[in-house]
Amino acid sequence: MSDWSKVTRPIPVPDEWTKPFWDAAKRESLALQRCQSCGHFQHPPYPTCVNCMSIDLKFEAVGGTGTIYAYTIMYHDGDKRFASAVPCASIIVELDDAPGALMAGNLLDAPYTEAKVGRRVEVVFEPLNDDITLPLFRLAAE
Amino acid sequence: MWENRCKVAVSGVGYSKVSRSADIPLAAHALEAVKEAVADSGLEMSDIDGLSTYPELPATGHAEVDGISVVSVNCMMAMLKLPNLTWHIQVGTTNIGGAVQQATNALLAGVCKYVVVWRAMHNPRGTYQNLPGTEARGATQFTAPFGFGGPGQGMAVAYTRWLETHNQDREKMATLAVTQRRHTQHNPHAYFYGIELTKEDYLSSRMVAYPFCLFDCDIPVQGAVAIVLTTADRAKDLKPKPAYLAGYGQRLHFEVAGRIGSLSSYMEGGSSSAKLTWERSGFTPKDVDVAQIYDGFSASVIYGLESYGFCGEGEALDFIQDGRMELDGALPLNTFGGSLGTGRIHGLWHIIEGALQASGRAGSRQVKGANVSFVGASAPIVTGTTFIFVGDPY
Repeated sequence: MSDWSKVTRPIPVPDEWTKPFWDAAKRESLALQRCQSCGHFQHPPYPTCVNCMSIDLKFEAVGGTGTIYAYTIMYHDGDKRFASAVPCASIIVELDDAPGALMAGNLLDAPYTEAKVGRRVEVVFEPLNDDITLPLFRLAAE
Repeated sequence: MWENRCKVAVSGVGYSKVSRSADIPLAAHALEAVKEAVADSGLEMSDIDGLSTYPELPATGHAEVDGISVVSVNCMMAMLKLPNLTWHIQVGTTNIGGAVQQATNALLAGVCKYVVVWRAMHNPRGTYQNLPGTEARGATQFTAPFGFGGPGQGMAVAYTRWLETHNQDREKMATLAVTQRRHTQHNPHAYFYGIELTKEDYLSSRMVAYPFCLFDCDIPVQGAVAIVLTTADRAKDLKPKPAYLAGYGQRLHFEVAGRIGSLSSYMEGGSSSAKLTWERSGFTPKDVDVAQIYDGFSASVIYGLESYGFCGEGEALDFIQDGRMELDGALPLNTFGGSLGTGRIHGLWHIIEGALQASGRAGSRQVKGANVSFVGASAPIVTGTTFIFVGDPY
């Protein structure tokens, strides 16, 4: 199992497009940008809907369960901030409530070999400091 | 078909020494390659009236210093002091393939006669993707906190998606790595010239970012390559047999910064670019005699083969087996060794090889009877461009 305890994650700096996502994460909730015109969810946030070009976008709460869309297992320790955790699984998750929106994360509390396309995962929240809480994932019941 | 097909041609080509470390300024590499390309054409430097490049350094966390880590148009102007210069550009969105396409457009517009295009690549000291920051801003706020740093991981996640949705086996990629390394032994300019690679070497090499092992990744090097582009009527009077540009395309797929892992983005990017190239040239994948497909990471070749239409989705790792990509195979592939053989110089070397194969100038690696020569000059997702060169204009 990867040891994440000594990892020094870069701390996200919210901006005007992304602040609602991080505000929700601080409340241990997931909120993704959704087009109010066509209903399309998208992540990362973007100034326009990438589906219909509407600028009527709002963040809506979504459930924290989904499946691993894709993943990689990092072995190279060139990024010293993550060197203590390698090998470790960096995953891309497609949430059940937001098909097409792909969220990056890490797989916690499981051997990195458990990362497989299609595995069920659920969000867990890890505070990085007083302002920023990071959504991460662990395996969920199939 | 494109009314301008075969009206522009690649003439001379040139290479600098390719070295692992930056012993001399990158500008010297670029100058060496440009001089060789101009001489290969049989031109004088004073004939050159157009300059085009893509000067990006794909490494992270290193200063961009003109002449040291990049070679801009401005730097080349300072070195060459061209008396007859009339046009120049450096492109932003389409990597070096876009620089070749813009040079083509300038020649067709009649604003210059002989354009030099170069790509110079620096290998900075220390870690290539040097990611020391404590903050993640902009698009990286959704990727960097999870350890997604360099482009390799972005490509690796799409590769796991491809492997597992298609129930495929990464060990089959050994064929690509080993065959390309064998092709490299016919290319004395390549970094890995003289160094063999076996299937066992590939299978036992260390993992970098699963499913990528060491030999799925091109090695960072310092070096440059260059070409002379001119109009077809002028190219006929120059020393080398011309390689005529039959058609080109660029990716039209829209991609959101920070969105990673989407296999469909590679496929849509590649198919949109190739569609333009097939339509403009009038050829189809079945007509292609030889192909160069960008391979900065091995999986890029998979996405290329499938999205350009050479095989179906999920089939590429089977498609390259049984000798198909050999020099005498049904689709000789990355015949100069690819970036996996030459080192990381980006796609201008693929374009050079596409041109050399079309014009019968590829020496001991020449594919017999090759006329229709396809090039995918970078990973199809964001910067993808495609080309077809022919030896016989039509």
